[in-house]
Amino acid sequence: MTRAAGTARRRQLVTAAGLGTVLTVVMGAVLVMGFRLATNMRAGIGALQAASTLQTYPEEISRQLSTLRDRLEVRAYSGQALADLQGTVSRFDQKLNQLAGSHAADSPQLGRPLLLWHQYAPVLDPVVSFTGQPYVDSDTAGSSLSREGRAHYAAVKRAQLFASDSAGPLQAQLAALSATLQRSSSDAAARLRTLLLAGVLAALSLAGAAGYFQLTRSKHERAALEAQEQTRDILKTVREGLFLLDSEHHIGTVWSDALTRMFSRQDFAGLSFERLLKDLVPPATLTTATKYIKLLWGDRAHENLMKSINPLGQLEVKIDNGHGGRETRYLQFDFHRVMGQDGVKHVLCAVGDITSSVLLAHELEESQENASAQVDMMLGLLHVDPLQLVSFLDTADSSLKLVNTILKEPARTDAEFRKKLGGLFRELHGIKGEAQALNLKSIAGRVHTLEDMVSECKKKPELSGSDFLPMVLKLDELLAHLRSVREMAARLTALKDTAPGAAAMAAAAGAAAASGADAPGRSQPRVVEDLSPTLLAMAKRLAADNSKRFRLTLGGLADVPPSYAATIKDCIIQMLRNAAVHGIEPPEARRANTKQDIGLVSVHFRKNGDGYELVFEDDGAGIAAETLKAAAVRKQLISEQEAAEMDTRAAMALIFRPGFSTCEDVSMDAGRGVGMDIVARSVYALGGKIGVTTHPGRFTRFKIVLPAGRAASSAVA
Amino acid sequence: MLYEQELKTFVEGTTNFFEVAAQQPASIGSPYLMEGSPAVHEYTGVINISGKREGVVYFTAPKAMLTVLLMKMQENDFSHETMKDLVGEVANTISGNARRDFGRDFVISVPSVLSGEKPQIPQKPGVRSFIIPINWRSHSAKLIVSLT
Repeated sequence: MTRAAGTARRRQLVTAAGLGTVLTVVMGAVLVMGFRLATNMRAGIGALQAASTLQTYPEEISRQLSTLRDRLEVRAYSGQALADLQGTVSRFDQKLNQLAGSHAADSPQLGRPLLLWHQYAPVLDPVVSFTGQPYVDSDTAGSSLSREGRAHYAAVKRAQLFASDSAGPLQAQLAALSATLQRSSSDAAARLRTLLLAGVLAALSLAGAAGYFQLTRSKHERAALEAQEQTRDILKTVREGLFLLDSEHHIGTVWSDALTRMFSRQDFAGLSFERLLKDLVPPATLTTATKYIKLLWGDRAHENLMKSINPLGQLEVKIDNGHGGRETRYLQFDFHRVMGQDGVKHVLCAVGDITSSVLLAHELEESQENASAQVDMMLGLLHVDPLQLVSFLDTADSSLKLVNTILKEPARTDAEFRKKLGGLFRELHGIKGEAQALNLKSIAGRVHTLEDMVSECKKKPELSGSDFLPMVLKLDELLAHLRSVREMAARLTALKDTAPGAAAMAAAAGAAAASGADAPGRSQPRVVEDLSPTLLAMAKRLAADNSKRFRLTLGGLADVPPSYAATIKDCIIQMLRNAAVHGIEPPEARRANTKQDIGLVSVHFRKNGDGYELVFEDDGAGIAAETLKAAAVRKQLISEQEAAEMDTRAAMALIFRPGFSTCEDVSMDAGRGVGMDIVARSVYALGGKIGVTTHPGRFTRFKIVLPAGRAASSAVA
Repeated sequence: MLYEQELKTFVEGTTNFFEVAAQQPASIGSPYLMEGSPAVHEYTGVINISGKREGVVYFTAPKAMLTVLLMKMQENDFSHETMKDLVGEVANTISGNARRDFGRDFVISVPSVLSGEKPQIPQKPGVRSFIIPINWRSHSAKLIVSLT
């Protein structure tokens, strides 16, 4: 459309210019011809005037000859008459000669008077050339003609005679010449008039052409202005950043307003594409982008193929946010080649800000993941005993409250910050163990991440408050997640209202959900849960996760006093994890040691004298003192010399040291070195004892002894 | 959920103030979650935030800390109004830092200053607050971030 309008405009411009040139040439020719005609006319009029003046001379000469003769006859003074004649003849001759040399020379009418004058002049010549004394004076005869006077008188008479015959014809010939010259002048005047008329017409045509040209030009200018305005409007309104790249990959002089907003700059004219992106994207991306742009200029490059390999389809850039900072935005670059006669002329670049779409997609993805996680969580919750779940959530809430209290403790030095880490580990590990026991993966996973953060902090040479920022955020997220689990559990319990005891459980769950952070802590008495299903499920999961095969037998757990329930549960969970990870061997290893493929893990709780006894045993690989010492040296808990001097009993005690683990890698079930440390601390806190007996390759047995007095007092309290 | 970078922006805004105004950097203690109602000091500078996040961010400091800070700044006027101006200035620096880092996503109000130990700070219900202790010399203030 625009190209057609441009061609038409060019054609009209050429036509107008041609017409103008022709008319200008015509006007020039008219003016030159008119000038020449006017010049000729002026000469003709001069000749006409001269010819008209000359007409009177023959008569004048004739009259002056008569006067001279009369003066000579009466012997009067003739000098004046001769002088008049001489002047007249001289002027006539001069004028006639001038006429002969003028515009009239071409006239055939001039020849005859000239011829006649050429005959007349010799007759007059003796008269006009007379310079003598015509008279002789004597006293006797008075004045008489001298000899010269007589000859002069005779010449006058001859001239008078010739004049009487020639004056008339000469006058008539000069009149005829005048008439001819007058006609010639009239003709010239007529031609000049015609020429002027033609000139006026040409001028009018030129003016008309100029007017038409101006009108056309104005129309085109208006159209061009309108087109420019439309282009401006488009560039102002379009949401994409549009610009053209030349063969040198420089931006042209026109771009859309959106580009200015997207890149927070205005100096695009002549800016190279590389410089446009230089400070916004990583160097590797910039190199790829530059290579891609070069490819676009290749004649063989297929547009659709090029589009499919566009590396700038979703480009993450850091752009000045207008407040001195930088913000992340996502831009989409589309390239379209503008073809000319000689191949690719420009590359049109359209930049779209797809930040909202990308963020929305991320949110959608996150939301889908959350929804999926929630479904998983709900399915997981369906298999958990409601009472156990409520109990766990209460415990977790209390533990996390304690975690927050640990964080809240004032700290300024590295030592003070580092001191917090041990406490955080212990609390988090306990929650994770219980969550795993209940197969609450979403909670266990989150706590594990938090444990990772604590672990990372431990490795730092110098700790500050900033290192705890991610932890507190994760803690907030974990608390929010526990809240949602509690709400979901309450809803599930409500749904199960047909099940026996559902109303009570729903009430318990609902009350716990409503109480939130004020839920009772783990040290407070609560309803004793049946641990067996939880532990059996956990054993099954641990076996699967660690590619082991073992059977768990439980005994006497129903007799656990309420005040010991939480500690016993934590201890069994930790020891069960250790047995699954470290104790029980893989089936092939067991076969090689002439053992049954399926390992045995037994847990027995019973009253023993005044107190209680928990025995945990597995028929796994046992614990080698040397392995423990080597791991402790590796973890820099003891020196090599200390290890060498350490006896078996002391080596076994390493199991209960904070941070000790024989695992090199951290997993959900082991490797942090806080599990047995927690078990020991919990047992000691209750006034109990813990011991370990092992035989490498045969078994490991943990024996926990708890006093009866505390259990009774706690139960009473 | 709040992002770590967002929290860091507010923390940096606060610590930068001490570094620039008193030529003595402030450090932060370990952050924790607020339980119950906010415990504030005598002077509190508040900025309200809307847009991508909604809520309040406030810096609360004891009079003793502000007095020492003013002394370090070669100020001789320790009046109530000067204390309020100073705490407002800290809030303003936090606000400027947030504007720089968050740009148009956040709409940040002009800081307001409250005094007294029980000021009415508008808290958005259900939003957990993060408390970041700001330690400077022997004194301790608090930066409280309460955003959705």
